[in-house]
Amino acid sequence: MVSGSQSGALRDTWFGARLPEAELGRLQAHARSASYEAGAEILREGDLTRDLGIVVQGRVALRLRVPERGMTTVLTVEAGEIIGWSAVVPPHRSTSTVIAVVPTDLMLLDGAALRTELDADPVLAAAVYRSLLEALADRLTGTRMQLLDLFSQHRDEPW
Amino acid sequence: MVMTSAAVPGFLPRAGLDRLLDLLAADGRRVIGPTVGQGAVVYDEIHHASDLPAGWTADQAPGSYRLRQTGTERQFDYAVGPTSWKHETFPPRVPLTIGRRVNGQVTFEDALPAAPPVAFLGVRGCEIAALLTQDAVLARGIAVDRDYAARRAAALIIAVECVTPADTCFCTSMGTGPEVTTGFDLAMTELDDGFVVRAGSPAGERLLERLELTAADPGRTTAAQDAVAAARERMGDPVPTAGLPARLIAAAESPQWAEIAERCLACANCTLVCPTCFCTGVTQVSDLDGFEATAERTWDSCFTLGFSKVAGGNFRPRVQDRYRQWLTHKFATWWDQFGMSGCVGCGRCITWCPVGIDVRAELMAVAPPPPALKAAVGIIEPARPTTVKSVPPAASAALLTAPIPLPAVEELPPTYARTFVAERRRETVDTVTLRFDTSDPDLLAGRPGQFVMAALPAFSAAPISVSRFHRDGLELTIRAAGAATRALCELRRGDSVGLRGPMGRGWPVDAAEGHDVVIVTGGIGLAPLRPLVDALLADRTRFREIRLLYGARSPADRLYVEELSELAARPDLDVGQIVDRAGPDWFGRVGVVTGLFDQGHLDGPNAVAYVCGPERMMTATVDVLRDRGVSDDRIFVTLERHMECGVGLCGHCQLGKSFVCRDGPVFSLAEMGPAFGREGL
Repeated sequence: MVSGSQSGALRDTWFGARLPEAELGRLQAHARSASYEAGAEILREGDLTRDLGIVVQGRVALRLRVPERGMTTVLTVEAGEIIGWSAVVPPHRSTSTVIAVVPTDLMLLDGAALRTELDADPVLAAAVYRSLLEALADRLTGTRMQLLDLFSQHRDEPW
Repeated sequence: MVMTSAAVPGFLPRAGLDRLLDLLAADGRRVIGPTVGQGAVVYDEIHHASDLPAGWTADQAPGSYRLRQTGTERQFDYAVGPTSWKHETFPPRVPLTIGRRVNGQVTFEDALPAAPPVAFLGVRGCEIAALLTQDAVLARGIAVDRDYAARRAAALIIAVECVTPADTCFCTSMGTGPEVTTGFDLAMTELDDGFVVRAGSPAGERLLERLELTAADPGRTTAAQDAVAAARERMGDPVPTAGLPARLIAAAESPQWAEIAERCLACANCTLVCPTCFCTGVTQVSDLDGFEATAERTWDSCFTLGFSKVAGGNFRPRVQDRYRQWLTHKFATWWDQFGMSGCVGCGRCITWCPVGIDVRAELMAVAPPPPALKAAVGIIEPARPTTVKSVPPAASAALLTAPIPLPAVEELPPTYARTFVAERRRETVDTVTLRFDTSDPDLLAGRPGQFVMAALPAFSAAPISVSRFHRDGLELTIRAAGAATRALCELRRGDSVGLRGPMGRGWPVDAAEGHDVVIVTGGIGLAPLRPLVDALLADRTRFREIRLLYGARSPADRLYVEELSELAARPDLDVGQIVDRAGPDWFGRVGVVTGLFDQGHLDGPNAVAYVCGPERMMTATVDVLRDRGVSDDRIFVTLERHMECGVGLCGHCQLGKSFVCRDGPVFSLAEMGPAFGREGL
């Protein structure tokens, strides 16, 4: 990982673009960018999630370990989308292992600092939680569709 | 006085009936008529007038039929029993083809039996209507059932007007009786001492002349008319039909369907006794060695669980879905399809329902008439409190509204073009692509989105989308999922198979001219879209941006992997792929296919969309497309439904006014209206 305190512009991301101007400035102070090589592990399932991440460029895979099958990718996250929502939502443990599948740039918001800001500022909280909720609802809807396993084979067929 | 004119009725004394039977026999006609058998008045072969049910009638009520002696000599004093004339015109089992398969080579030969001359004696008004109704379905449409047409042409119709309707009868409401006005050769009305007889066709006139009857005197003619009028009076008008089709469709989401389903056994008795029900399946009757099999057309019923089964599941798993299908087809969408009611009011389904479900009462419970009409006609009320709630107007639109262009005439039994496997390519663990060489001009004239029926002797013919057209052949991509598709997948180079088609209406390629194109598909749904991609790329300049979005279960479940890579490398085509799950060696996207819309611009108002996949995937995709501004008339989906015949005769794939095999499988959303994605259709 290549990390630096020098951040890109939060406002250029999907997440940042939706935040009120004043709050954006405050959050920008907690943001930093990070770059990962293909194959790099960004987060490990069960570990503490320290940062809320926004994919600026690249693609990351959310993987779950299934002992008899190995690592299974259940979702990929593309540029503009978030990872590490557990940095905001207790118990702050990562629900999947996050791997950069191609060279990936993230913008990271320090989780502890972000939580402090959210507790202190209802206007910021409303904006951040709404964005998070939309992102998670989208992910939940998609997960349900995947759960249906619509493309699976049926063996009990008329022909 | 000798009768020669059809305009003047004659009088046939009861003792003269045998003379009529003798004349028919002399013409080489087998005579089928009413007789007492199996505890009912049934239709069977009649040799003498003494075979007729003289002095018998039957008391009928919902779920009840009891023969009763009348103490008279009258021979036609019964109302219709459990058999109908379709047993003769449309027998429960008819051999269609004999297929043979030896050393990988198939042959098919026509197995239709001959249709010798026959006379039907004692046909009621409602039953003539039923014959005319089946004519419209089986012999007057764009596809013709040759066996039915031959049997109908071979049948002389001798009607006997009904003067003894049962309590279950409602021909008066359906406009089919008790008077006999059309569709007969001879029509008789029974009096105590004989019959008033008139001719309704040249064949009937000739028969009447040979009977050498005296003219019926005015007293008898009037008595005959009065008897029929009295029967009409007795029945009343128990089912107000004005506006009934629209009311039924509006009640598509009525809670009443579930209530009926609590009583309905889904036993299919109603469809078996119904004189118009025409749905059939094809049964394979095989030799023990499997080399030879006869494909038989057999009665089927929309009440059976397997009726609407398809590769991905079953479209009508619940009894309430199946009851709704039956009732709405009979009384509503039959009008859309054939310009007439599918019910003739004979009441058989009421009598022979083992739990006594009365279709008259259910119609009024599901789709009650306006109060004024109800008061005017004194309808039959259900024998229990109803729980019908009003239906929101959103559900009231017609199921399928747009006019459907009609393809060429097809016939049953099918003729299969023997076609040889030229190449076999494995796509996934259970899917192969077969390339067939053929010079059959019909097969070669296919269009993207059309399908063929692929037949191997001893296996059900399978509807398979064409996955590529070549100048001298075509490709089929087949997933081994059932017995027939497994056998097809096992074919080797040089083996032959019977192909028929291409069938149905494919993708409208021209609709995309000058527009952006987005193709969204999943799983094996890519197969029917591949010829569309071929067609678009063959004429690339006619179209603006083209995007192909493809979802699969896993990377290994994708079809045409190398081809997709080649397509993805093209500068004039944007290919997005996504899988539901993947191992660590997959660097592409994981998620649902609609997620692919998040990247890249979609100029919705200027786009045309083609969608193929499981229906649930298509509904999710359509939501996104609509959200992006693609209009319903520019969103095309292909529907999967159970198909046995492929030409709109077997009834399995009926959906609203369409048969999916014949009028689809591609429809625009605008054509489908609220039928798209609705449960239980």
